Amino acid sequence: MADTSLLVYAPILLKAVGLTIWLSWLALLIGGLGGLVLALMRISRFRPLRLFALLYTELFRSIPILIVLFFCYYGVPLVFGTDLSAFAAATLALGLHASSMMSEVIRAGIGSVGTGQWEAAQAAGMTYRQMMRHIIGPQAMQVILPPSVGIYIMVLKESSVASIIGYVELTATGLLIRESVGGGFTILGVVALFYFVLCYTISLAGGVLESRMKVVGHGMPIGELR
Amino acid sequence: MTPSPVLTPMLAPVLAIDGLVKRFGKRTILDGISMNVVPGEIVCLVGPSGTGKSTLLRCVNGLEDIQDGRIMFDGLMVRAPARDIIEVRKRIGMIFQQFNLYPHLTALQNVLLAPVVVHREDRRVVEARARELLDRVRLSHRIDAYPAQLSGGEQQRVAIARALATNPHMLMFDEPTSALDPETVGEVLAVMRDLAHEGRTMLVVTHEMRFAAEVGTRMVFMDQGKIVEEGNPRAMLAAPRTERAQRFLQTIQQ
Repeated sequence: MADTSLLVYAPILLKAVGLTIWLSWLALLIGGLGGLVLALMRISRFRPLRLFALLYTELFRSIPILIVLFFCYYGVPLVFGTDLSAFAAATLALGLHASSMMSEVIRAGIGSVGTGQWEAAQAAGMTYRQMMRHIIGPQAMQVILPPSVGIYIMVLKESSVASIIGYVELTATGLLIRESVGGGFTILGVVALFYFVLCYTISLAGGVLESRMKVVGHGMPIGELR
Repeated sequence: MTPSPVLTPMLAPVLAIDGLVKRFGKRTILDGISMNVVPGEIVCLVGPSGTGKSTLLRCVNGLEDIQDGRIMFDGLMVRAPARDIIEVRKRIGMIFQQFNLYPHLTALQNVLLAPVVVHREDRRVVEARARELLDRVRLSHRIDAYPAQLSGGEQQRVAIARALATNPHMLMFDEPTSALDPETVGEVLAVMRDLAHEGRTMLVVTHEMRFAAEVGTRMVFMDQGKIVEEGNPRAMLAAPRTERAQRFLQTIQQ
């Protein structure tokens, strides 16, 4: 039975699942931070910053992830003279792409907070940082969270392109196993199932998080006020 | 414009506005406003809508930049580096027409936030004071409610408690009862009356003439970006000197 013989590969597959999660999580982290910086640049009073962020966002939104990946893997060593590992190149490419998506989402989130809130915070004497952290941020999060879950799922699936430059994550592992067992679709089905379970779990977790934040005013514990 | 004979303040002004000009594009909103507020005064700004009363308040705490003139608060320049403007804002409590409570925080947290975050006070000390303040605006039973769960009048009273929490040197009210249902206007005015009797310094943009007559120490009538007339509120309401004030007061009292 070809199907049971695949069980031998279970440990490798599980490890590959771990690598895929790790890669996409790092990319999401970069995307979140980069997106935040870009979003703040987009609403900055300084025009060059706004233009740069706009250009970045539009550029990375319109270039296929595969091209970005090749630029990172083959281009960065040319320009900077340092080799990037397949893992680093994939993380960078996914992170760059994710930050362009996240910047739009975060900008929309910040934009959803009414001017009255900014004014109340300013009138209270808050600095930009205090305002962002205590007033604008928490309210923007409500709007930012749902699409971020979608972006994370997208990044996780996109991470399969890393297989092309030889980073052995879930997709690459599946393809290698398929070769060594001499073809067949079972292993691809298994890989697909893994992706599905991962994405569906994220989606469910996101839903739970969202509903917890929606409670009346999604209160922030007083202990967090510092 | 003759200075009010009723008031010849001997105290140094807490707020001094001199030749303030504010434009939005080509439109001049405030056209050379000069006025002082001394500690303990309750100045009511009245006049037709669109004459720049609210804009004047917003200039005082730097929510709007100004094109000309000078605003000094507590000896600090309002149009100045960021550090100065923050210091001015820390000393002024502002109450907005639309309350602008923080919707993600409870009533108590709304009151706590600025003292803890901006003034870096000890949370336990502030919390005791915040509870007292909410009690004073008669909301001790609504301490843990979120703004969305409060009526307009209740929200505005929380906003007043929030403004008081930092012990401001002056309170600014921007049409505090204009967005309220008629039946809740009274509860907000009652709280403001209490504050007036405590001797708080207040700058109030309002259309509540009865309130102005009752507690105001001075009334300033503005029209088209200028101060047209000022004086004792009761005297002014009874017999406005300028024709424009007469006309305005007639329409509003009908």
